[in-house]
Amino acid sequence: MKSIFRFFSIAIVLMLTSGCATSLVSDVDSQVDLDALQRFYVVKLSADNRGIQHLIVNKLNSMGKTAVAGTNPNPASPVDAVVTYEDKWMWDISMYMLELRIGIRDPETNYKFASGHSYRTSLVRKSPEEMVSEVLGKIFEDRPKGE
Amino acid sequence: MRALKLFSSLAIVLFVTGCAVGNQYDYQSAQVSLPLVGNGDVGLGVIDNRSYVLNGDKAPNFIGLQRGGFNNPFDVTTASGKPLTEDMLDALTDALTNSGFGVKKLNISSSSPVVVASVVMKEGQEKNITLTVTDWKTDVFMKMTLHFDLLLQVFTKEGSVIASNQLRGKELIGGGAFESQNSRAAASAFETKIGRLFNSPNIIAALKE
Repeated sequence: MKSIFRFFSIAIVLMLTSGCATSLVSDVDSQVDLDALQRFYVVKLSADNRGIQHLIVNKLNSMGKTAVAGTNPNPASPVDAVVTYEDKWMWDISMYMLELRIGIRDPETNYKFASGHSYRTSLVRKSPEEMVSEVLGKIFEDRPKGE
Repeated sequence: MRALKLFSSLAIVLFVTGCAVGNQYDYQSAQVSLPLVGNGDVGLGVIDNRSYVLNGDKAPNFIGLQRGGFNNPFDVTTASGKPLTEDMLDALTDALTNSGFGVKKLNISSSSPVVVASVVMKEGQEKNITLTVTDWKTDVFMKMTLHFDLLLQVFTKEGSVIASNQLRGKELIGGGAFESQNSRAAASAFETKIGRLFNSPNIIAALKE
């Protein structure tokens, strides 16, 4: 009986803690100096009807960059980098952003030289603004050349 | 009491295996973008040099571990059912094609320099790219870790190496999420690592010459 109780106790702890799983990672090419990039173009994800592209633009502008968003995969005027993103939402009493993945690409080759990803389950959910902020913060903090 | 035992056993089986059994990741969905634009035909081969595959411990479509409630590991395999190197070859072919190259696939069975050189000399193009995968697997429990050891080489038609770049390490690439998120994280890591391998001055110069 004791062993069954111990098993269920461990199971409950694991189940509860898995409800508050988080992860925040980024990967930046060491040959790219992110500080040197000033002009950004954010490509709106076609499936996104929540306006995440505007949140990314706002955050980049607040960081002193110049960013605009659009639906066309290619920017109308020259930029230093193109920003793409993928968001995933879940329902738990209300809808929340489960994960956000942001990539920063070379406008000529589409090469993804920097990326970041945040994953937050229901109990540790954050607003989309905060998710955007922490992913971009992690990418620009993880900068081998501009440290 | 018997019912409690039966229920407990069932709960234990469910908890220990949970969502950990039979996970598959889709590497063919990886959209690799390379940091160069080129033209002309190149030969391309991806070689499985993973010790745990070569010694028969794991199948060629093995791509990592998903751990159950008690850290017990279950194999993760490719969604396509094909060997990992075939999925990587398909993704790399698309990437090189999008960068302007024509791609002729090379079937290289071993990382042995003699084997690689002879395949390149027999079936290769003026420029030939090989990706040797000495390690590539994810390990998921509460977090998702990637173990990788990749060697990218550019060969001439004569079988000489003119450029190479290697990446190896162990990195946290995400949280231990649902299968679909883990699959995307694995594909995204592949996109990133392949891009990094190509983003080397000697590789770019060798392919542009």
